[in-house]
Parts: sequence; structure tokens; C-alpha cells
Amino acid sequence: MEKLSHSEVVNLLLQLASMLILARVFAEIARKLKQPAVVGEILAGILLGPTILGSLFPGMFEFLFNSNQMSNIALDGYVQIAVVLLLFIAGLEVELNIVLSQGKKALSISFFGLVIPFAFGFIAPFFFAEFFGFVEGNRLLFSLFMGTAMAISALPVIVRTLMDLDLFKSKMGMMIVSAAMVDDIIGWMIFSIILSFMGKEANTLGIGYTILLTVGFAVFMITIGKSLINKVLPWINKRLAWPGGLISLSLAACFLAAAFTEFIGIHAIFGAFILGVAIGDSKHMTERAKEIIHQFVNNIFAPVFFVSIGLKVNFFTNFDPLLVFVVIVVAYVGKVIGCGFGALQGGMSKWESFAIGFGMNARGAMEIILGLIALEAGLISEKLFVALVVMALVTSMTSGPLMKWAMNKNKLA
Amino acid sequence: MFHKIALAIAFSPRMEALICESKRLKDLFNSELLLIHIGEKSQLEEGNLKTILEKHNIDLAKTKVVWETGKPVKKIIEICEKEGVDLLVAGALKNEGFFKYYLGSIARKIIRKSKCSVLTLIEPSFDRNPFQKVVINGTQQEQTPYVIAKGLEWCKLEQTKKVFIVNEIKMYGFQMATAGEGGGDEVSATRKKLVAEEVIYVENILKHLDKGDLKVNIKITCGKWAAELVRFSEDIKADLLIVGDEGNLGIFDRIFSHDLEDILGDLPCNLLIIKKYSV
Repeated sequence: MEKLSHSEVVNLLLQLASMLILARVFAEIARKLKQPAVVGEILAGILLGPTILGSLFPGMFEFLFNSNQMSNIALDGYVQIAVVLLLFIAGLEVELNIVLSQGKKALSISFFGLVIPFAFGFIAPFFFAEFFGFVEGNRLLFSLFMGTAMAISALPVIVRTLMDLDLFKSKMGMMIVSAAMVDDIIGWMIFSIILSFMGKEANTLGIGYTILLTVGFAVFMITIGKSLINKVLPWINKRLAWPGGLISLSLAACFLAAAFTEFIGIHAIFGAFILGVAIGDSKHMTERAKEIIHQFVNNIFAPVFFVSIGLKVNFFTNFDPLLVFVVIVVAYVGKVIGCGFGALQGGMSKWESFAIGFGMNARGAMEIILGLIALEAGLISEKLFVALVVMALVTSMTSGPLMKWAMNKNKLA
Repeated sequence: MFHKIALAIAFSPRMEALICESKRLKDLFNSELLLIHIGEKSQLEEGNLKTILEKHNIDLAKTKVVWETGKPVKKIIEICEKEGVDLLVAGALKNEGFFKYYLGSIARKIIRKSKCSVLTLIEPSFDRNPFQKVVINGTQQEQTPYVIAKGLEWCKLEQTKKVFIVNEIKMYGFQMATAGEGGGDEVSATRKKLVAEEVIYVENILKHLDKGDLKVNIKITCGKWAAELVRFSEDIKADLLIVGDEGNLGIFDRIFSHDLEDILGDLPCNLLIIKKYSV
């Protein structure tokens, strides 16, 4: 087995240390400005990457991130694990019982909140593919990806906003949360299907087979898989060290599910996400354990992942103002109209519907993960990726204030 | 509180104990008693039933026995509606196997479909003891104020020694992890706030109710409310759990099991489901 040399180990550790320190500094600044940590972490990456450090101090950038190929491979492995874990905790956040208990109004919001932004995201790139940076490949897949990118939402940002506005436990809050959960499950399923057509398996797997595998795996995991989890978790909680046993075996199961989906031709993230849903929905998964896993991933893996975004792409040279503007407009219009219409259909008032639309508009970390995987799969250009990251940040930063504004209007109305 | 109590009987070893329990409830609520048997009427069974009723001093003239044939669940529900029953008593097993859970036993089908309140007894006894440790669901739902009111009414009549109202913090782990982006003070403040909000919710309901001499304890848990209720009821060895109705639950709710189905899947103790418009 090949090993890292002495200098490569030092390099890797310096990379991780610098990424974690800068991520923490900028996350704290973001916190002071009442913004999500991910905003600060992305900015830290831009500062540490080719955009700023690489331009101003190229020698230092080269030494840190381009001097040892093996260190970079090891770092990439760390980032890959981070993505899988981020999707795992995204799955843990989904609570099917909350979704089911919210009834038709939430389903109406999630349905229109998914279909309308998806349609907006699909149509514009399908007819103006070149404008969106499409060069070669499958235009349909590219447009389907853009539809998914516009339809997905970021539950952590949404929950934070609702908590800040003291709306989390309100009827509206629960509806937004459950609608976002449904959209995320469907969004990640669609994205996994798209990705399976991008890989090597594209030629061997038919669309029907891929959809069957994806949906079949999801249904299996949240029915039979969950029953098995419900049988195993009490034993783990009782017999093994707590929370050590639960955390290590949950993560092991996450990696196994991720490996399985990757093996059968669906992306690893989907396995991690669905396993997260199955474990998170188990009545034996304690809230304390969920909190610990969240803290573990959010503070050790997530910062490195978000900083790594800035290392991969030059945000200055790839910043296309018009493209960024169009992507942001499509994102806002699709989500606000879609969710707002769904809420109106569900009997909410005009301003409440706007508030729901703004609340659901936050894309946050999920958009960035989605974008990065698409970039690495060669589905999108760096320019479009930058536009998606900026859109994710702008929608996350504005979600809270816009929701507050709409709620104030609702009070006055 | 209940004017007409019905007991669904099958000629099983537990039938006599169930009749004893129903008699106790009939006396407690000063109500009428109706016995429902779905199956062929035979002289032997009729005689057996008469012997049991006489043995337990049940006034045969005031007790109606309905013998019907057909699909048990459908028939029992039809009879209850026709007779104006407002509490249906049925025996049930504590937990059932995989297939029975998904396909549904008679007792669970009755619970899911009945329009009147249902008392499910998992360990009916001849002792006729009142319920001494009662747990009431206090989770934030539309029907909760009504369920708590009716639950306390029942407990006052029973002179229950300990009443627990259990409310839970929704998505506690996720909320705390989200608050974890803030400083230590914010985390601590959020934790206190989450607990306080749930206590206040129950207190606000209780302040409008006459509790009599009851000792009512409010307990806050975190997790899924149904699973937490089951856990809490088992921990304190409760003898009755009172919850509200969640509407007509079907197989979809069992596959993607939620809330009430979690309780039905593993009954921790006797279960009273209060249906809002029946009492």
C-alpha cells in the first residue's frame, strides 16, 4: 500500500489546518452578521484559493495546494467523505412523520415548489443552453440538472430562518419544513438519476432501469431498511458504548449504503442521503445522537468541503455577471412563484404565501454540493458553477429578511 | 362522559376479564352496556355468556347483546354507529407480528376506523381496579386541548393517583445543531426556550380546566411524540395511555409509519383513543 511521504503528510496537515482555521474565522464573521456559516466558509475558500491567495501570493498558494499531488489526492478523499456525510445529515434531517402529519397544504407547497422552479430551471437552459455555458454533451441532461438545481432547497438555512423569526413551531413553519423535506427527497432522486447517465454506466443502464433502481432503493430503505434499523438500533443503544457505538455504526452504515449505490450505478450521495432518511426517521434514533452527528459533520467535515469549493475554481475569472444575474432571477422567480402558488392553493393569504416562497427559496449548502458534483461530472462549466454558488449564497442570505418583510406585511394586511 | 359503552366480544380466554372491565366502566360512567359478537349465534355460546354476566352481577335486562354475522370490523363499527355508542372497548395483544402489523388485526382495524372513542385493553383483569398511573398526550396538535380535558375528566372520576401530560420538542436535535452555529449562550438559551415553550403550551391548556384533586405532572421529551409516549409509559409502568385521534389511518400510514401507528405497533399499556366528536 502506497504511503504519503513525510513532506506530503506535513503538506496535508497544513492544508487541513489552514482550511479549518480560515473557515472558522469567516464563519464567526458571518455569525456576527447574522448569516449562515456556509457563507463565511465559502468566502474563506475564495480567499485561500486561486481567486485571491493564488493571485496575490502565488508562491504561497503553490506551496500549500499545488506542491504535492499525493497530498491533494488525500485531501480530495477527505472532501469526498465530507460530501457523503453532508448528504447523510441532510437525510437525518428529514422526518417523514412530520411530512405526513402536515397534510395536503404542505404537499401542495412542495408539489408546486418543485414543479414550477424545475420547469423554469429546465426551459431556460434548454432553449438558451449556450448562454448557460453548455458546450457539448446531452442538452436534455444539462437542462434536467438545471431544473433540479432550481428546485432543491436547504433545510438547515430554512430551519435557522424559521427559528430566528420564531416561526419554526408555527403551522406555517412546519409546512415549510415538511415541503422542503419532500422537495429534497425528490430533488436528490432526480439528480441521482441524471448523474447515473453521466458516468460510465450511461451506456449500459437504460432510463427505466435507472429509475427503478433509484426509486426501488429509496422505497426499500424507508420500509424494510427502516424496519431492520428499528430492530438493530435498540440493541446498539443498549449494548454498545453511547454515543460512540451509535455514531460509528451509523457512519459505517452510511458508507456502506453510499458504496452500494455507487456500485449499482447511482451516485454514492444518494445512498448516504436515503440511509440518513431511514435512520433519522427511526424512533430509536435519539435526538441527542442526531445533534452530536450534526455537530461532528458540520464542524469537522463541512468547513473543509466548503473551503475546498473556493480552491477548485477561480471565482474572479469565472464570474459572469449576466449569467449570475439570470441564474438568481430564475431561482427567485421559480421558487417564490411555485411555493407561493402552492401556498395560495392551500388556502394561505397572499403575504403568507410570499413568506413561504421566500422561506423555501434558500438553497444553501445543498445547491453547492449539487453544483460541485455536476461540475466534477463534466455536466456544467466553471462559470455556471460560480453562478450557482453565488445564487446559493444570495438566496440563503436574503431568505430571512424577505420572509420577515412578508410576515410584517401580512400583519398589516 | 360516556352514555353508551360497547364491548366487542369473541369467545376467547380473555372475554370474561374484558366483561369485568366493561362492567366497571359502565358503573363508573353510569352508562348503558352493549355487547357485540360477530359470528354465528349458538345456544352453547349464548348460555356461556349468560353465565358470565350473571356471575358478575350484570343486569341482563339492562344489557343488550347484539349477535351479527359478517365482516367483524365493518359490522362492529356499523352497530356502534347505529346504537349511538360513544366508547367501544376491545381487547388487543401488546404487539403483533410483521404481517399482522401491516395487514392489521381486528382490534387495530377497529381503532383505526371507529368513529367513537376506543379503549383497548391489553391486560384486562377481574380485579376491576381503577387506572392509577395515566399518561396523556400533550403534543401540540389541534385536538390536544380536547384530549387533555377529556383525559382529566376520566382521571377525576377514577381518582387517578398520578397523571402525566407528556409533550415533546419537535426536531430537537436539528434545532440544537442549528443553534450550535451560535455561541455557547445561544445554545443554552435555545435549550431553555425549547423546553419552556412546551411547558407553557400545556400550562395554558390546564389553566382553563378543573383538575380537582388530581396531581398533574408535565413532562417534556424530545423525539417523535408517539415513540416518546410509548417509552415514557413503559418507564413509569403506566396503566393507561390517552391520545387523540389522527383520522382514518390506512396501510400507507403503516408502511411509512407515523405517530399513532407507532403506538399501535407496540402498545405500552391500555390505550384510550379519544375521538373528538364522539363524547
